[in-house]
Amino acid sequence: MRQSARLQTILDLTAVDAAPLCTNAQAGCHVLSLANLFDRVIQHSARMHGISNDLHSEFELYFLPSKNQIGRVSRNCHTSSILTPNGKENAQRMAREELTEVILKLLVAWRDPLWHFHQSMAHHHDFNNFSSNKSLEMSDMVHELRKGVQKVVEKMQMLGIISNSVSNLASPEALLASDSAEWRLMKDYDLLYCFRRDSNKVQNYLKILKCRIVPEHGC
Amino acid sequence: MMKKFGEVILLLLLLLLFFVPHAEGTRYSLPGKPALTRCRSPEKETFTCWWEPGSDGGLPTTYALYYRKENSEMVYECPDYHTAGKNSCFFNKNDTSIWVNYNITVVASNALGSTFSDPVDIDVVYIVKPNPPEKVAVTVMEDKGWPFLRVSWEPPHKADTRSGWITLIYELRVKLDGENEWEMHLAGQQKMFNIFSLRSGGRYLVQVRCKPDHGFWSEWSSASHIKVPDYFHRERSVWILITVFFAFIFLIVSWCIHINSHSLKHCILPPVPGPKIRGFDKQLLKNGKSEDIFSALVVSDFPPTSSSNYEDLLVEYLEVYIPEEQELILEESKDLHDGCLKPKGSTFDSDSGRGSCDSHTLLMDKCGEAKDDEQQTDRDGSQTGSEAQRQQAAWEQEALTYAHEDMISPDMSSGRVKTWPSVFSPLPQYSLSPLSQPSSLETAKQHCLSDSLFPPASLSSYLTQPGQSTKEALRSSYSDFCSSNKQPHLLHPQPDARHHLQAHSDVNISSIGHKEAPAGLQLPTVQSTEYVEVHTVNEDDMVLLHPVPSGHSHGKGCLQMHQGEDYSKVNGVDKNNVLLLQRDVIEEQVDMCPCENQDMNGATESCCTSAQKSIPCIHTTLPVQEEKAVNGYVDTATMFPLPIH
Repeated sequence: MRQSARLQTILDLTAVDAAPLCTNAQAGCHVLSLANLFDRVIQHSARMHGISNDLHSEFELYFLPSKNQIGRVSRNCHTSSILTPNGKENAQRMAREELTEVILKLLVAWRDPLWHFHQSMAHHHDFNNFSSNKSLEMSDMVHELRKGVQKVVEKMQMLGIISNSVSNLASPEALLASDSAEWRLMKDYDLLYCFRRDSNKVQNYLKILKCRIVPEHGC
Repeated sequence: MMKKFGEVILLLLLLLLFFVPHAEGTRYSLPGKPALTRCRSPEKETFTCWWEPGSDGGLPTTYALYYRKENSEMVYECPDYHTAGKNSCFFNKNDTSIWVNYNITVVASNALGSTFSDPVDIDVVYIVKPNPPEKVAVTVMEDKGWPFLRVSWEPPHKADTRSGWITLIYELRVKLDGENEWEMHLAGQQKMFNIFSLRSGGRYLVQVRCKPDHGFWSEWSSASHIKVPDYFHRERSVWILITVFFAFIFLIVSWCIHINSHSLKHCILPPVPGPKIRGFDKQLLKNGKSEDIFSALVVSDFPPTSSSNYEDLLVEYLEVYIPEEQELILEESKDLHDGCLKPKGSTFDSDSGRGSCDSHTLLMDKCGEAKDDEQQTDRDGSQTGSEAQRQQAAWEQEALTYAHEDMISPDMSSGRVKTWPSVFSPLPQYSLSPLSQPSSLETAKQHCLSDSLFPPASLSSYLTQPGQSTKEALRSSYSDFCSSNKQPHLLHPQPDARHHLQAHSDVNISSIGHKEAPAGLQLPTVQSTEYVEVHTVNEDDMVLLHPVPSGHSHGKGCLQMHQGEDYSKVNGVDKNNVLLLQRDVIEEQVDMCPCENQDMNGATESCCTSAQKSIPCIHTTLPVQEEKAVNGYVDTATMFPLPIH
């Protein structure tokens, strides 16, 4: 699929970048600019958000014919514990490192819930194949996006844009630290709703970061 | 009863009291249920909600908006009811939280109570509708001489795209002034766009709008007018080029027409053939001298008096004069060219006075009517006992013979008249093979075609009808036969011709007295006929013939004419006006022209043309084979069994 191809592309890029770090255009060294990296991850996050939006709309259409708006906010998203800026000023006021960490935290927090969501979708047989594929794709994209953002962070740290205080959230310890039990209580619809919002946050934060760090490209 | 009456009245009053206000139309009630129509955020930092009030219930109604944030039970009231207008609530930046679910409710209250609207959950992120793009600028630019529009704009000032808070995509539309169809263009995130393929001198309207990633399209910006200048100079050069090209083509075409004007004129307007008058001189006409004109018109040789050009066509007739004149002018007559209708007689003048044997005139007349008469007489079948008729008929026959012979026989030398012998040439065949009927017929046909006259039919008729009628019959049959030869199928209806042929062959000459009867003559084809000029007729009634010098065109096949003094001596004339000739030596064929014995003036004239001068006169042994030439022709062929050449 096209999306998996894009994922693969990002992985290739990140893999290449993981190779010898090239500060200068050395022979045989493939240098990717930070702006390009940002663009790629932003595109990725936009794609991810689009899928989550579609899934949410489908869910709302087939499983909640009566638009019971009240029931939507009956519970919190499991990621509500993560402090995320709710406004532009708040986001601009936040440091780059913090913002980066928020992004990473969000992405990490959603890896397992989406995987389980996909599993439950596949078993339910209520969703059509198209939605099932979307959930799988969504799950994969979260995983890949996190890797991509990590690459960006490493690049930024290498470039000295951000300090090295950003912890490596890929470590198993960080994964275990997340509240893994909360999301299991959530219904599928709520999961979708929450993830739709969080993917939007991620996309927005990445844009803010990019326009703050490399503003000359499309800001 | 009074009580009841009182109750009734009280009831009526109550009813009246109840209905009076209703009748006046003032009925107070709770306010109607308001409804939130929409909430919009222009920059994802503030937002506004509008509601629609219900019926006010007749009482002053106040509206209040209350909202609750996500995961909080705190109810807040709208902070600003006025900024956004009536029935609106404006949330400023401090009160707006993104990615937070708002639960908003509008309450309508009046003296009687309040009515709550249905709650609405909104997330500001998803209700963003930016303002239209600003500072839309349209300019005309040129790209290698061809103009195009460059449209540039700026995002709405409230939308913060620079910090990446909002990402807008743009769309513009263009149309010609006065048209209804817009041309849409999606510009993406860029803030500049080029429009090509413009109409020269056109006036365009351009509008731009924008949309965030997930939100609503903004309104269209105000239309920007732009006029595309006329790039006529470009088109003019093209027209000049086209004009020059067509002028060039036109020149070439006209030159070609001029070159071929003559042939074209002939093609389109073929010249009308006009009469050409020989000797007509336009100059004379222009000079105006009529005498000269008309004198010029007079052709010296018209009517043709000289035989210089027409010798070939002249018909010379053999004239034999009866003793009283003691002169015989035997002229060889040349074949009539075409049925002897043309009196190209060179001998006209010389024959004056010898009316009876004025061959040329006679021939002329006879030939002219020969065919007609032949037809008539034949058809009529009437017998004319008069010799004149017979002679006439003979002449006709002769003429016909001449005509046919001339026309058909290739062997004949031009200008030579075929005489009997030629006509009779086919006959020997029949004598040889009398039973070869079909072949004889065919040969007869051939001979008829070649010799024109084929007398077998005439023979038959002659045999069957001896006598005067035979002549006509023969003639008719002859003509029929000959004509029938041209139509082979007609041959068959005359089967008896063959028999007659046989008979005739047996009969030979005896029964032949006619010119047609010459079927018995076994003369071969008249290849060469020598001309004999009858010189004198001696006292013994012998026609002395002199060979005519070969000044005449004898044509091919003409046997050598010896300039010997060979001639045929006329032995005498019997009672039947048959010319008896003496034959001395028979060497070659003797073509004896059928001579018509005319009993005019009691003189028998017989005209003979002998083909071969070498052949002397026919012997008088002929009497055994006397031929009764009814019409005065002597059939020497029958008299003398001449070898066939």
